[in-house]
Amino acid sequence: MLRKADLRSTAVQKDWHLPAGSSSGSAHHMNTELFVLTYGALVAQLCKDLQNDEDINKELDNMGYNIGVRLIEDFLAHSDVRRCHSFYETVDVISKVAFKMYLGVVPNVICKDPAGDEYSLLLERNPLVNFLEDLPDNHSSLWYSNLLCGILRGALKMVNLATDVCFVQDRLKGDKETEIQIKFLRKLEGSKLMGHK
Amino acid sequence: MTTHPLRKTDPALQNTELFVLTYGALVAQLCKDLQNDEDINKELDNMGYNIGVRLIEDFLAHSDVRRCHSFYETVDVISKVAFKMYLGVVPNVICKDPAGDEYSLLLERNPLVNFLEDLPDNHSSLWYSNLLCGILRGALKMVNLATDVCFVQDRLKGDKETEIQIKFLRKLEGSKLMGHK
Repeated sequence: MLRKADLRSTAVQKDWHLPAGSSSGSAHHMNTELFVLTYGALVAQLCKDLQNDEDINKELDNMGYNIGVRLIEDFLAHSDVRRCHSFYETVDVISKVAFKMYLGVVPNVICKDPAGDEYSLLLERNPLVNFLEDLPDNHSSLWYSNLLCGILRGALKMVNLATDVCFVQDRLKGDKETEIQIKFLRKLEGSKLMGHK
Repeated sequence: MTTHPLRKTDPALQNTELFVLTYGALVAQLCKDLQNDEDINKELDNMGYNIGVRLIEDFLAHSDVRRCHSFYETVDVISKVAFKMYLGVVPNVICKDPAGDEYSLLLERNPLVNFLEDLPDNHSSLWYSNLLCGILRGALKMVNLATDVCFVQDRLKGDKETEIQIKFLRKLEGSKLMGHK
């Protein structure tokens, strides 16, 4: 299980596309706290409303999707990322730029299949669970951070990539790792936000 | 949402967007669950309170604030340090009574409503950002100040200003987090 005390200090990761003079670790960390606590309130509310973990997971994913389709614009506006030429590059940007920017962490990326269509993000540290020791009682099948999967799916949709994004492991559940799987399904028609920069 | 050229890669603003959108999802969920705006306002305030009693520790750990010697100083810190740190804005502080126990925070800009034009339909009495009031109340409780915090105006409702009123009620016993720094 994650221990709160372990989560605070992290080695400084190399900032990708963030200014060298940024107030760095501490500013990121503080803003994340308000988000983390609010996220906790959201999950708690859903646990009140829905009995079934599967329904909660689904609702978090849907909410995340609606957030992702809007957050992508903010992301593209505030980062220097160029158009990606492979799914690997896309996942790399997600890990090194997007996760860093919004959660202050950089997950490790591993490739799950030789065709290069499936990757996993391994979160050494998940800020969303900063204030949690365990899953809430009676919610052993909850993917607590499932909002993230929906966000990624929604954001990628807006850059014309249909993907499948889901948790496959979560330390909060007792698993060895916290792992989000991202699978490329197909390219989508239309230019939406592509071409930005 | 306007993109300020100098703040292109300001971490504070970027993190705020994810928080703002998640907050929107939270309010939307409450609007589904509760019919009455009064109940939603109350629920947001309660949730905010539970957040505030924990957020204060993070705030004190990451800011350089010293012990405040008057309620005015406290409100000043809330405006210039806390709001800045968590929402990237600095509300104006005005004093509402001569005894100095009541202040208002006037938000020129409220990041929580970045993605909103209007209140959701049928929710004309909703204090959309009411979580903030609970957060302030909970945080101040942990530094031994009992306060009353509430919205009195909201541009989202058509009011002229967005105004949070903070009223000092009394000092509380016990040292909780005071003495930090």
